[in-house]
Amino acid sequence: MRWAPRDADPVATFARVPTECLAPPRDPASALSVEVGRAAFRTPVLLGGQAGRAGLTCETCHKAGRGNPSFLFPGVSGPPGTADVTDSLFSSHRGDGIDNPKPIPDLSAAKAKLKIAQAPAEHRLEPFIHGLITEEFDGPEPSKAVLAGLADYVRALNTAACPAAATEPVTVGYYLADARRALQAAKGEVAAGDAPTAILMIASARSRLGLIDERFAGPALSAERRQVRAADRRLAQAQDALRARHPDVPAALDAWLRDSRGLEARLAAKAPASLFDPRRLTQAARRRLPG
Amino acid sequence: MNMTLKTVLLAGAVLALGSTTALASGGGGGGGGGGGSVSAPSESAPQYDPAAEYAKAVAAIKARQYKDAARAAQHVTDAVPKSPDAWRLLGAARAGDNDWKASRRAYERVVKLAPDDASAHAGLGVALANLKDPKAQGEVDWLKARLQACGDACPDAANLKALTGAVEGAVAGGPAAPKPSAALSGHMLFGGPKAGDAAYVQAVSLINQKRYDEALASLADAQAVFGPHPDILTYQGYTWRKKGDYARAEQYYKQALAIAPDHMGATEYYGELKVERGDLAGARKMLAKLDRICTFGCADEEELRRWIELGHEPQR
Repeated sequence: MRWAPRDADPVATFARVPTECLAPPRDPASALSVEVGRAAFRTPVLLGGQAGRAGLTCETCHKAGRGNPSFLFPGVSGPPGTADVTDSLFSSHRGDGIDNPKPIPDLSAAKAKLKIAQAPAEHRLEPFIHGLITEEFDGPEPSKAVLAGLADYVRALNTAACPAAATEPVTVGYYLADARRALQAAKGEVAAGDAPTAILMIASARSRLGLIDERFAGPALSAERRQVRAADRRLAQAQDALRARHPDVPAALDAWLRDSRGLEARLAAKAPASLFDPRRLTQAARRRLPG
Repeated sequence: MNMTLKTVLLAGAVLALGSTTALASGGGGGGGGGGGSVSAPSESAPQYDPAAEYAKAVAAIKARQYKDAARAAQHVTDAVPKSPDAWRLLGAARAGDNDWKASRRAYERVVKLAPDDASAHAGLGVALANLKDPKAQGEVDWLKARLQACGDACPDAANLKALTGAVEGAVAGGPAAPKPSAALSGHMLFGGPKAGDAAYVQAVSLINQKRYDEALASLADAQAVFGPHPDILTYQGYTWRKKGDYARAEQYYKQALAIAPDHMGATEYYGELKVERGDLAGARKMLAKLDRICTFGCADEEELRRWIELGHEPQR
């Protein structure tokens, strides 16, 4: 499946991302909730169903909580940047038999422009997101903390918080920073005794490692891929430990977080030889794209 | 999530289907390193990607290079001996090469594997007629009976009429025996990748709508274009499972895994089938395999884990 048009500009589409317009709350509990939502937003395991199996996440359509003008999924999109959310391809609940793709909204746009009222008092956002996960994408029932976190994350997206630069480069550090934030959220949920949510947070960190791995393609970078995969294995073990209720998970996560600095330095040193390098990315895309 | 990168870079692949990456990372043929080979010839023989060989055979038939087509189709039948599409393609290629005995043998296999396949009966009839075998009339009769049962207004009527006419022409000893196109007329074989992709996507939607018979028809169309592709076989298995035919479902999952041993979807769904059969130990083996092959985690693994924890399908 292709999630971007074949003629998409590789640099604009894959080498840069929009900057995130996030205004995190000050109190620690709310900040943790936003971080839980932020991580859940970035893992296909949240969605499950056909979308999750295809590796789609909330962020596939809403890059950095914005929109995605390049999104193109066969059978679901019309023009790039649109999606038919009532198509049966992803949903066994909401298919309406009508091909009616709509533009993907920018979740960081002015709140008044968005379809769903976000004020907590209106109690509309959580049911809407719940329906998206479980009905639109046939995903599993999210934990309370994940559902609340997603709503809090979306509420914390705010035009006023947009950085001056509209985009930023995709780097090893960019993805590893996300992984670290997800693991900090995991630690918070472990402390709160919510293992299922913590497991999902670790899943989010693992999917970010997957995005690093795919850019270190080719035999010359096999040593770097091995390091990324070893880091992933440690996280998979932490998930297993949580399922088995072992008490040593926070220490394992702390160790991983410490070691991730060294991993980042080693990977960053080799990044110019990887598809993190815009020139190499462009060459690879041009070489492989037929016609 | 930027998996789009991977998919665009894979755009040169034969298919644009869901788990193409699983196929690419599947197989793992050959090799062995170190000093000197101690493997048997059968182990070091070339290994073929059935979907790629299938595409090669289709292209060769289109170019009327029937020997090449037969060679490629043979690779497909070697790899997936229970695929009717593969044998049908081989039958057509052999017919194109005027090797009627080999064509007959191939079509006989199709009829055995898929007794209701009209194009196989037609292909077999044409081969028998060219071999002056009176059994050809039996195939004409089969096609006519099918046409009668179907009625003039049925969607398949025009195709059945054309197939019947082709076999009758061959039996009558017309000036030239019908070529492969006759036995494959009305078939999706030459539909091309776009049509195949569309049929596949349609099938997934139909499955979600629980319209399983229509989904199987769409999957058959996709398979005619792509041959025994593990994604298609996986969904065929899934659909038969939803129809309650676990034995048939298992056959398809096994075929998919024979082609792509590390196919995530087939592994997950085969595990679910094992849960439905009460074989939790077998399901756990599938889960352990997913844990190994799902580097960086995957939804397939988490879904199967939920099935095993509950001992049944999670409520939606």
